[in-house]
Amino acid sequence: MSFFESLTSGQNLVLGLVYGGIYGLLAVGIVLVYRGSRVLNFAQGEVGTVGLFVAYFLITEKGLPWWVGALGAVGTAVAIGLLFERFIVRPMVSATRLAVAVATVGLLLFLLAVEFRFAGESPRSVRGPIAGDGTSIAGVVVSPTQMLSLAVTLGVGFGLSVLLRRTDFGLGVLAAADDPTAVRLVGVRLSRVSAFTWGAGAAVSALAVLLIEPTIGVFTPGFASELFVKGLAAALVGGLTSLTGAFAGGLIVGLVEIQVGSLTLTSGVPGVPTLAIFALILGVLLLRPSGLFGRGVAAA
Amino acid sequence: MTTSWLGRLPRSARVGLLAAILAVVPPILTRLVPDLFAGLEANVVGTGTYLAAAALALNMLMGYAGQISLGHFALLGVGAFTTGILTSPTRLALPFILAVPAAALVGAAVALVIGLPALRLRGLYLAIATIGFSYAMEQSIFRIKGLTGGSGGIDVPRPIAGSFTFLKTADYLAIMLVLLVGLWALDVNLTRSRLGRAFQAIRADEAVASSFGIDVARYKLLAFVLSGAVAGVAGAMYGGLVGTVSASSFGYQFSLLLVVLVVVGGLGSRVGVVVAAYVFAVMPRLFVGVFGEGIRGWDLIIGAALLMVAVRNHPGGVAEALRERKDKRAAKRRKASGDPDDSQVAPSLPQMPRPPSRAVDTPLAAGVPVLRVSGMTVRFGGLLAVNEADLVVPRGQIVGLIGPNGAGKTTMFNAISGLVRPTEGRIELLGRDVTGDAGHRRAASGMGRTFQNIGLAKDLSVTENLLLAQHSVADYSGWEALTALRRAPRVERELRERAREAVAALGFERYADTPVRQLSHGQQRIVELGAVLVTAPELVMLDEPSAGMSPGAAENLAVRLRDIRDQLGRTVLLIEHNIPLVLDVCDSLTVLSAGRVIASGGVDEVARQAEVVSAYLGEAVPA
Repeated sequence: MSFFESLTSGQNLVLGLVYGGIYGLLAVGIVLVYRGSRVLNFAQGEVGTVGLFVAYFLITEKGLPWWVGALGAVGTAVAIGLLFERFIVRPMVSATRLAVAVATVGLLLFLLAVEFRFAGESPRSVRGPIAGDGTSIAGVVVSPTQMLSLAVTLGVGFGLSVLLRRTDFGLGVLAAADDPTAVRLVGVRLSRVSAFTWGAGAAVSALAVLLIEPTIGVFTPGFASELFVKGLAAALVGGLTSLTGAFAGGLIVGLVEIQVGSLTLTSGVPGVPTLAIFALILGVLLLRPSGLFGRGVAAA
Repeated sequence: MTTSWLGRLPRSARVGLLAAILAVVPPILTRLVPDLFAGLEANVVGTGTYLAAAALALNMLMGYAGQISLGHFALLGVGAFTTGILTSPTRLALPFILAVPAAALVGAAVALVIGLPALRLRGLYLAIATIGFSYAMEQSIFRIKGLTGGSGGIDVPRPIAGSFTFLKTADYLAIMLVLLVGLWALDVNLTRSRLGRAFQAIRADEAVASSFGIDVARYKLLAFVLSGAVAGVAGAMYGGLVGTVSASSFGYQFSLLLVVLVVVGGLGSRVGVVVAAYVFAVMPRLFVGVFGEGIRGWDLIIGAALLMVAVRNHPGGVAEALRERKDKRAAKRRKASGDPDDSQVAPSLPQMPRPPSRAVDTPLAAGVPVLRVSGMTVRFGGLLAVNEADLVVPRGQIVGLIGPNGAGKTTMFNAISGLVRPTEGRIELLGRDVTGDAGHRRAASGMGRTFQNIGLAKDLSVTENLLLAQHSVADYSGWEALTALRRAPRVERELRERAREAVAALGFERYADTPVRQLSHGQQRIVELGAVLVTAPELVMLDEPSAGMSPGAAENLAVRLRDIRDQLGRTVLLIEHNIPLVLDVCDSLTVLSAGRVIASGGVDEVARQAEVVSAYLGEAVPA
């Protein structure tokens, strides 16, 4: 495929947006937790995968409706997020952030171990929320799940930003990382803010993993590990502290990945899209350390 | 105290002896008790050994130099693939013994490339960049068929030396253990040298490190390079252990695991991280051994849960938990023995002669001052912190730089010492233009300074800080430091002797091995002065030395400052709010107000100027 063909291919564009939206959702979770606790949650993606196993159990094995499975998945993820926040993160208020990050690696290993112990390595799949072959829009076939995925991504992003900007509690969440005292003064309890960021982060992660699974096809334990790295890249491109930036970063990473992938399909070097994403990270860090949309400062 | 014959041997001989013992134990044991090292057990010890080497590598970077890397397993991959390409019979088929140094070299080179962004990035941003690096290596570079054999991977045959083969795991273990002892010795040498101290200073505070003459950028890169070399060797060890290496063994999750080992073992604790590595390797075996086969699967779940709880309860890792317990006991003992309050102790600053490498007075033409600042302007965004200020510090004088809070005194200090780049102006030290020099260069050419918030590495002991302060006069190379050969031991002995003298002169013998953090603010101040004076810099710049000292100690300070000038012939630039002290000791004054010099000259002359009185001194001038 020539460079021009690839860039203008509707299929690439749609796939880029679908994947990008998912990375954006994961990035939003990463940014939320980072704003609430100043820590990188390495279990961010895997919490979603555990939810996916629950959805598999409810939908594929028990034959329950998709939305019940989705509810189970999100509920499980939120519970894990809240429990981890309450029993590990909160007692570590005065610990170094590196130590808290290591605790999240502990959670990641824990979730992986649970997946391997109870589900094993055999590949599984969960059907999409809507059956059907998809509609052709301007010559591009878009599956119903992909359409729903785009819609949910936009809806969650919009809903979160309204919640955060238009309510006192939301403003408290936004301000918590910068000025905890001020937040307490306006009557928002910091423990609630912290719990919210971990719970909401886990919820968006479960949604993201659930929505991308039908496009990828099958899943095994550790399903989200690659998604997580790309979510991380998206969060960074967006500036680590900006929710809008995280979404935009997700779309950029998704489009870059799909475009570079389609251009280098026949090249002798495998995994060129990951090289492109790494180059994107480095470029943003060195040229615009605060991200394309953020205000944080990386250097100094 | 009697030392055993072992203790009397030179250290290199002891290391060699230990390596020899470790080398012969597994092969002999396995022949005496054939079941002990059969199969899995040897593999478990081998896994612990290469993980210990990898943990040492990451500990050098994170524990000593304070630079994070979440991609270190990719460097192990680089070492393992290098070994495979060199030794595999289908490739170059070179002997294993050549592959190990090659793996170190390639690991170091790749680490240098990752280290470059680290010069601009910190903390989380560096973490994400390194995770991205690791991910890209695993997904792309490690999967290039022509280079690494693609998905099938590449064979790493175990070495054969003549008729003796290392094909059995227990025999190969001997090689791994010898390498680990070598890396351990390297690590010990590193921490006992100027290199290791420079790393620790950078971790503590980059501005302080630079004030002791440490080139922060250079040493950061050096930390990456050394760590990369050790990781490369760990990768070579790993390659021989597993026999075939392929990309999927180097996912970023393994790098995260390495960070876990280093943090749980305790950042900066050599023993801690090695123990953590072995415990991690042995634990699953141990679970199965104790609880039977039924535990399989649960062992990892329990292990991960224990990890979370352990990190929650001891965020500083095993090493810090042990240290805390020791400190508590020591504090109890101090309390029991009725320790006097030392903050009242008057400082008796060390009268250090010039160190040998700086023995000669820098000749200065008549009329050339030690420091001349002309037309200095420092602008932070829209704020004009220093505005066309001039300052002259003649040799053998104590010059006071005074002014109200926010006048720009400390900013001017920072610009003179190279922490802040002035927007305009020229700085001459000993008649030489140093405006373009980095801070560590100015420090090395004879400029010592203190900081308002104490310019010491506070986690290090008093003695270690005094050694650190001598960085710029420690005259031996990096190779000598790492091998502890030739000049290094002699110079280190001299530095230690000098540090001991300085500790004695300060009257701090009791605190020689106490971390600076545990001293009172006034005591820290005194140690800081000692650290600045220990290299006998030509120009001594003191930022509010009397802050935090008791009145008695501050009075004594005046005597000591005069000693520095009269008996040692040093020159002093002093920022000080204690006006009686300033009027007492200074030969001349420069007064800053809102970034401008509003007066300068002799003490009496300046103190009488009406403008100064109103700007700063209040109504009356003490006689």
